[in-house]
Amino acid sequence: MTTMVTTTPSMWRNYSTWANRNRKWLFASPAMIFVGLLIAVPLGWTLYLSVTDSEGSVRAKSNLVGLSNYFEVLTDTDRFWPAVMRTFVFTGGSLAIELILGMCIALLLWRPFRGEKWVRVAILLPLVATPVAVGMMWRLIFDPNIGFANQVLSWIGIPAQPWLSGQYTALPTLMFVDIWQWTPMVVLMLLAGLTSLSDEPDEAARIDGANSWQRFWFVTLPLMRATVIVTIVLRGIDALKTFDLLYATKGKGGGSFHEVETLNIYAFGLSFDYNDYGIASTVLILFFLLIIAIMWVLTYRRKANRS
Amino acid sequence: MKRHSAIRVAAIAAATFIAAGSLTACSTAAGAGDGDGASKTLRVTLANHVWTDTIKDKLPEFEAATGLTVELSQYGEDQLSDQYNVKLNAGTDEIDVMMYRPLQEGKLFAKNGYLADLSDDVESNADWDWSDFQPGPVGSTTYDDNVVGVPIITEQEVLYYRKDLLANAGLDVPTTMVELEAAAQAIKEQNPGVAGFVARTGKSAAVTQFSSFLYSFGGDFIDDNGDSGIASPEAKEAYAFYGKLIREYGPENVSTDMSWPEAMAIFTQGQAGFYTEADSLYKNATDPETSKVSDTVGFAPMPAGPGGSVAYNVPSWALGINAESNNSAEAWKFIEWATSQDLTLEVQQDGVPGARQSVWEDPAGTSTYPADLAAAIATSTKNGVGHDRPLVIKVPEAREIVGDPIVIAITGGDSDAAADDADDAFQGLLDDE
Amino acid sequence: MTTTLQTRPVTETPRPVRTAPRRRKPRAYKIFRVVALTLTVLLFIAPLVWMFISSLKTNVDIYDASKTLFFTPTLDNYDNVLGRNNYFGFIFNSFWVALLSTIFSLIIGVPAAYAMSRFTMHRSAIVVLMARIIPGVSLLVPWYFIFANMRMVGGFGVLILSHMFVALPLIVYIMISYFDSTPLELEEQAQVDGLTHIGAFLRITLPLSVPGLATAGILSFIFSWNNFMFALVLSGANTKTLPVAIFNFVSYASIDWGSLMAAAVVVTVPIMVIALFTQKYIVSGLTAGATKG
Repeated sequence: MTTMVTTTPSMWRNYSTWANRNRKWLFASPAMIFVGLLIAVPLGWTLYLSVTDSEGSVRAKSNLVGLSNYFEVLTDTDRFWPAVMRTFVFTGGSLAIELILGMCIALLLWRPFRGEKWVRVAILLPLVATPVAVGMMWRLIFDPNIGFANQVLSWIGIPAQPWLSGQYTALPTLMFVDIWQWTPMVVLMLLAGLTSLSDEPDEAARIDGANSWQRFWFVTLPLMRATVIVTIVLRGIDALKTFDLLYATKGKGGGSFHEVETLNIYAFGLSFDYNDYGIASTVLILFFLLIIAIMWVLTYRRKANRS
Repeated sequence: MKRHSAIRVAAIAAATFIAAGSLTACSTAAGAGDGDGASKTLRVTLANHVWTDTIKDKLPEFEAATGLTVELSQYGEDQLSDQYNVKLNAGTDEIDVMMYRPLQEGKLFAKNGYLADLSDDVESNADWDWSDFQPGPVGSTTYDDNVVGVPIITEQEVLYYRKDLLANAGLDVPTTMVELEAAAQAIKEQNPGVAGFVARTGKSAAVTQFSSFLYSFGGDFIDDNGDSGIASPEAKEAYAFYGKLIREYGPENVSTDMSWPEAMAIFTQGQAGFYTEADSLYKNATDPETSKVSDTVGFAPMPAGPGGSVAYNVPSWALGINAESNNSAEAWKFIEWATSQDLTLEVQQDGVPGARQSVWEDPAGTSTYPADLAAAIATSTKNGVGHDRPLVIKVPEAREIVGDPIVIAITGGDSDAAADDADDAFQGLLDDE
Repeated sequence: MTTTLQTRPVTETPRPVRTAPRRRKPRAYKIFRVVALTLTVLLFIAPLVWMFISSLKTNVDIYDASKTLFFTPTLDNYDNVLGRNNYFGFIFNSFWVALLSTIFSLIIGVPAAYAMSRFTMHRSAIVVLMARIIPGVSLLVPWYFIFANMRMVGGFGVLILSHMFVALPLIVYIMISYFDSTPLELEEQAQVDGLTHIGAFLRITLPLSVPGLATAGILSFIFSWNNFMFALVLSGANTKTLPVAIFNFVSYASIDWGSLMAAAVVVTVPIMVIALFTQKYIVSGLTAGATKG
């Protein structure tokens, strides 16, 4: 007992010294191990399934088929490439409009004014609303027979539109919903960037006789480049992976013509509707690589610009 | 100092939360984990259905009689299949009794070994009487001569119609497809804003309700040789006809995503004259709480086409036991109870057609049905075909393939060409299996 | 990606001190601005208002175009949702899962963010942020398989873990940019006074980071509350969260729009109330990394 009592403080000191010396990994490792474990196994598994012909059940016997799944998917012009295209149209289209609209609103909000607080509250609400509930809400509004959207159109004399249920209108309609929900986020990010800008370059340009548009285009916008890229990266990741909204409004397969089937929805359908695990995993791996490639290009370009 | 104590309070509060949280998490995990032996908790997964509502009301009786606690999970059809796909794939034992669709997932589940063999259980109780179940449904819950499920709900397709609109037009109830088209046209012309005909339009959803049209025109999804039959002249005619009915006499701006809730809503809101749908959903149209047309809705057998009046007559849902369940004995008790003669009668009186012959023979079994509906069901049952979708393992894929010409026809495209394309794809799928 | 992480403090939304009085804008611009902002607010709010109005209508009124704005409000839909469907249970589930996953993520995420910020561990940060990039669909079956073998499925444990997966990258991301902007001097001073490195982190840096912690915590709570895909397959009968419950409502019986909207209101209102009271933190969290480093 006595030895215990005498050794304890020094042992504690030893631990403490050790802990302090290794605090870098001591602090970082729990989170990294957590994420690593939760990602590594699924990723390895998905990679493995993507080179097998697994279907029906993941526990059923399957054969290694090499890269033939990749060949099959990459030559599939029926579902895969259209889904890639829709993913890009949905993400790129929404993102572009969100950026333009977001920039306009951010500029309107830039300088302080009375009632500013209320405007901010108003644009915060769509942002925090649960996507599934948002999907339900827009399904009612865009219902071709009883929806509010067609009612508004009828007031101004425009014929009723099929909106979500139309072959060519569904994707634009869902892009509209995405824009409704996420423009506020873009506004907030751009506004944070704007408010952190120094006034001096703007003032200097003003003294040189530049008009507001010139000052925005040649002074403010270049200074905002970093903020805009961060916004594109963060919003882009989420837009590429949009699932809740599409699933809640059009379900598996993205409608009768697969009109809103993006890569995420396609992969979900392959897994949980067709039980075609080999192909589904291939699509997921390609999707994952695609996201990483896009992120890499965006951040790499940014680094290049900075240096 | 003040700041410090605030932090301390926050820290203590956080610690308490965590402790409480981990306790809850642990206890839940423990609770979920004690299924090794014969647990007193039975996990039953059911679909959203009128059948489920009735069973839910009766559950306390079962629990009182057996001392078991039933933990009921209830999902919509799509969510249910997502659940099964994830959980059964991983070999879960968290599901004991499962409600499934024999024609949709039955073959796949049985092939994967998800469903326990019930062959001995069904013979174990003579009073319960397995031989009382209709042979058609029993056939579809049998895989490789093993019974893997007990059919609970059967469905036949019938024609829903509006008596008042038909009377105003001075027409009789259509008995042939030609008359149906003429009547739909007349109703659409006479009643602005009202469609002559409505039915499901979603690529996959429409397949089952289209099937009776296909059969009545003399076709089938798979021909006698086991090859694709969807490009036959009969099938092409059926596709074109179904599409034309909706395109020309259907609602304005018709959606191509409609399953039964959407189509039923149009009919029950008084916006359509005719509607072809499964009989098991008739309560939606006759219940004044959900239907504006409850007083004027009538039912008739499928109108006859060149091939006669041939509707599907299928077991739409069955109960099975998860092969990995540790409670199979108790699970069987539940199935035996839920499919007993008494309860089947009661459920059927609540509007859900059952699979027991004795209940159909019992006048009480159809006493609560509208007389014309009972007559229509009798006709459908007599001539009925035992499937309403292609009987393959990859049903979801097959449905999308054979459903494609439906949607093309509805949107005014070349449905014959679409049927030829679909025929190739479908033949490919059949060759693979 | 990591280059975005060096930023100024996330909580103070810095408004530059104006050196000279701003020249007055023309009157036309002022009017344009008021009109434009009013339109913006209307566009963002109107659908939510419509959802709320519809939740007070009977289905017959919803189908009746003449009753778009003038109708007799009813609470039947709420009665239907809350009474018949045990929504309070689902609310409790959602709240509990969101709270615990947030707390656990803070416990492992904050020290990690601290180390990554102080030792500029960019590669490690990427590992954690990978969790935000990976498509969730690829995780479902393997996770279920693993968790099922650990006998955790259907309990709160597995839901909390999966939601932590959403919360952790968010927290690490926000806290890295927060710590990047916290001056080192105070920590160094504390070490001169005899505190160890860890002691200085616990006693000095952490208390100073309370606004950052609040920001990260609130956002992770909201994201967890709104999460749908993981709960869709990983929750059990008794642990179903609100978004899953409301989606289940869709396929129930028939399209009961009134009740559906009531359910949607029930899901969104709690989170909106939280958002209103913690506006400042949410904004600073969402915009973490937005200002250039």
